[in-house]
Amino acid sequence: MRRPPEGATRRFWRAGPAKYTAVLRTQLAHGLAFPADLALRSLAIVIFMWVFIHLWRATYAGAGQSRVQGLSLSDTLWYLVLAETIMLSKPRVSTEIARAVRDGSVAYQLARPFNWLGYQAAVALGDALARGGVTFVLGGLVVWLAVGPPPPLWGWPLAGLAVIVAWLIDFCMSALIGLLSFVVEDVTAFEWIYSKLILVLGGVLLPLDFLPDGWRQLVQALPFAHMIWAPARLFVSPDAGLFLRLFGGQLAWLMVLSLGLGAAYARAQKRLAVNGG
Amino acid sequence: MTTLRRIRVELSFLAALWKTNLLAALEYRASFISQVLGMLLNNAAFLAFWLLFFQRFPKVNGWGMRDMLGLYGMTATGFGLGVVLFGNALSLADIISQNGLDPYLSLPRPVLLHVLASGSRISGWGDILTGLLCMALLGPPDAAAWLRYGAAALVSMIVFISFLVLVASLTFWIGSASALSGSAINAILAFATYPMSIFDGSAKLILLTVIPAGFIGALPADFVRHYTGRGLAQLAAAALVFLALALIAFHRGLRHYESGGLATGMGG
Amino acid sequence: MAAIDVQDLRKQFTVKHKAAGLGGSLRALWRPRLGVVEAVRGLSFRMEEGELLGFIGPNGAGKSTTIKMLTGILHPTSGEARVLGHVPWKERRQLAYHIGTVFGQRSQLWMHLPAVDTFQLFGRIYELDPAETRRRIAMLAEAFEIEHLLETPVRKLSLGQRMRCEVAASLLHRPKLILLDEPSIGLDPVAKQRIREMIKRMNAEEGVGVLLTSHDAGDIEALCKRVIIINHGQIVYEDRLSALKRRYLTEKDVSVRFVEPVTVDVAIPGTELVKAGGGGYGLKLKVDTARTNIAEVLERIGHLGEVEDITISDPALEEIIRTIYEQAALSGDGGSANPEASDAPAT
Repeated sequence: MRRPPEGATRRFWRAGPAKYTAVLRTQLAHGLAFPADLALRSLAIVIFMWVFIHLWRATYAGAGQSRVQGLSLSDTLWYLVLAETIMLSKPRVSTEIARAVRDGSVAYQLARPFNWLGYQAAVALGDALARGGVTFVLGGLVVWLAVGPPPPLWGWPLAGLAVIVAWLIDFCMSALIGLLSFVVEDVTAFEWIYSKLILVLGGVLLPLDFLPDGWRQLVQALPFAHMIWAPARLFVSPDAGLFLRLFGGQLAWLMVLSLGLGAAYARAQKRLAVNGG
Repeated sequence: MTTLRRIRVELSFLAALWKTNLLAALEYRASFISQVLGMLLNNAAFLAFWLLFFQRFPKVNGWGMRDMLGLYGMTATGFGLGVVLFGNALSLADIISQNGLDPYLSLPRPVLLHVLASGSRISGWGDILTGLLCMALLGPPDAAAWLRYGAAALVSMIVFISFLVLVASLTFWIGSASALSGSAINAILAFATYPMSIFDGSAKLILLTVIPAGFIGALPADFVRHYTGRGLAQLAAAALVFLALALIAFHRGLRHYESGGLATGMGG
Repeated sequence: MAAIDVQDLRKQFTVKHKAAGLGGSLRALWRPRLGVVEAVRGLSFRMEEGELLGFIGPNGAGKSTTIKMLTGILHPTSGEARVLGHVPWKERRQLAYHIGTVFGQRSQLWMHLPAVDTFQLFGRIYELDPAETRRRIAMLAEAFEIEHLLETPVRKLSLGQRMRCEVAASLLHRPKLILLDEPSIGLDPVAKQRIREMIKRMNAEEGVGVLLTSHDAGDIEALCKRVIIINHGQIVYEDRLSALKRRYLTEKDVSVRFVEPVTVDVAIPGTELVKAGGGGYGLKLKVDTARTNIAEVLERIGHLGEVEDITISDPALEEIIRTIYEQAALSGDGGSANPEASDAPAT
């Protein structure tokens, strides 16, 4: 019959992963419920890539070099496809969490036997995968037509892994911002600052390799670079050494941020129990 | 005589709406300030990107940082004016598809003007401020240049709002154009903030017609830099043509709506 | 063992007051004026395993706050509670495996997916094995008559269909207790009736305890044997439903519309004529069911003329609560009445 209550850790390893992958799968299916609508919303990448193709063609022509900082025109554009895909498909975790805190639905989800953060992370990842898939295909098509085939296939799994970790890093930072809504009423300003930091310091608009020398090392060490630049850079020049360095950096940031998030959540939960959010 | 009176009446009505919007915005001053600062930061982020870009590639088809500053400032001003004064243009497609026009239809004021001016995006003030800062950065104060800047910004705003109204008006026929409308806003802003010189002939043609980004950023910015009679004529013509198209499309759509409701289907 | 045992449960919230105007907002930023709201003030009650208990009260009475404390979401300011032997706010996760919840105004189903997907997800969340999940889905689908709805995206279901799926989902993991917060809100009478029957059946067949909150007296009347009425965070009435009925739910409003104008010349015994109007087409009566059988009244009405439409309704719950409240205030104990002598004749 029913198991007696047992230690949370043992319980997690027995049933936990299945639980959260089930959430992820369900959210993925949910996201794919309207394929036409999804494609229409993903059209933004087509526009952006079209502009980028024009911009970088003119730029490479003006520079008179076929490679800039080791990147060819094709590399740069394929880099931008993946960078934009990560950026455009990352779910609005902070908005969702802030809303859940404000309207109290966070409280209702607590009445179920799962770790709330784990549940949210699974939902976010499922959402990102659905949108990211469509976005990448559309953007990739445009760039393929313009500059030729994508980087070699064997690097794709490495980049794919890095993209997943990138979305998890984003989840941690966005969730931290979302939890701020326990303290301040309106978190939109923080969301803005955060998304601009990614835009400039993450390498969404140009590969961070093009930054001036002094800045480059500093910016590449930040979590923002590990969300965008690291996976996209791995994608265009897959190589075991680079993978170990960038993926290791990603995991380190993920660890630090998830510890921070766990602590923030513990505090938020205490507040919630007293005031109901 | 009566027409003149009408215009006066409508203008004072508009002024009243704008005043109400402004008061509502100032009611939450902390939010107002944070949104304006947020938008300034947003624009600063893009300009920072260009600064980094031009450090690595000083000239792209003859374009440099100064040109970029002028272009970005112009687009920000036109966009900012548009969303502050006619903020509902951004959500017009949703308003139409969710029968949000009905309350306006029962009031004795011009529907389109009333809908558009009934909403205001506070963050637009940050864009206007960005535009003014860009202008100030570009050179010494010169009364004629500022005058041209004002006129060009007006054109930029009119073309931008007209374009949004045109796209949103599709809702009258296809049921819901909100996803399309969102993409259109993204597109026109993306195109209006990149140098025209990187696009070739056919792309340029598109940017002056179907997606009139050229009239929101590049051409008005050129006009601010140096006056030509031809530039002025082009801008005036663009403003009039797009305004007329928007008015025709919206009012045809409205007649369609009043006679048979919205095309349904296309859920979600 | 009691399913729920609550002793002197209290919950206070601190709220910020804000003066009007811009100055007020700014001042509130620096030095917020705090006030205390007592949402629940000293609640004590017991619910047996397998019982159907109704929890009614107007909006803002403290029903939801109580439910939140019983599920462990909110910590009480003071007092004690045990739900299925657990202290909810200390053992929320363990308790979660044994209870089911439906919050009428918030869907737990994935809107764009067929309900069966949410059922399967719940199977994972509550750690059932897949074969058991399948069997259970089939069984619940039959009980709630949703077999033909399981494959349809939830957003395309009617509210009544969706609510049947919601309640079925809450029963998937064989909870010992389900907490239904306004399950019939917004439903039409037929859908309400169906969902009540199904809840009743599951209670009888599986012995699942049901704590139901509602502001619709009809829900409670159809479902519950015992009822607790709360208002302003306090119990104002707690007794068997039959006693409540005898005391307060004795009046029904009957309104009739005839095909042809009729003249009402003789009074129907045990009824009070409220209005005879509409040019002879309409008739409104108050029926005291303690004195008159409603079927008899309907028969009498039938004799008056051919009936086109007829509605029978309970007096609004607010009215009953007002009555109870007034009586409690009269009896002088500050609004909390716990009539022990439930068999005392109605006054």
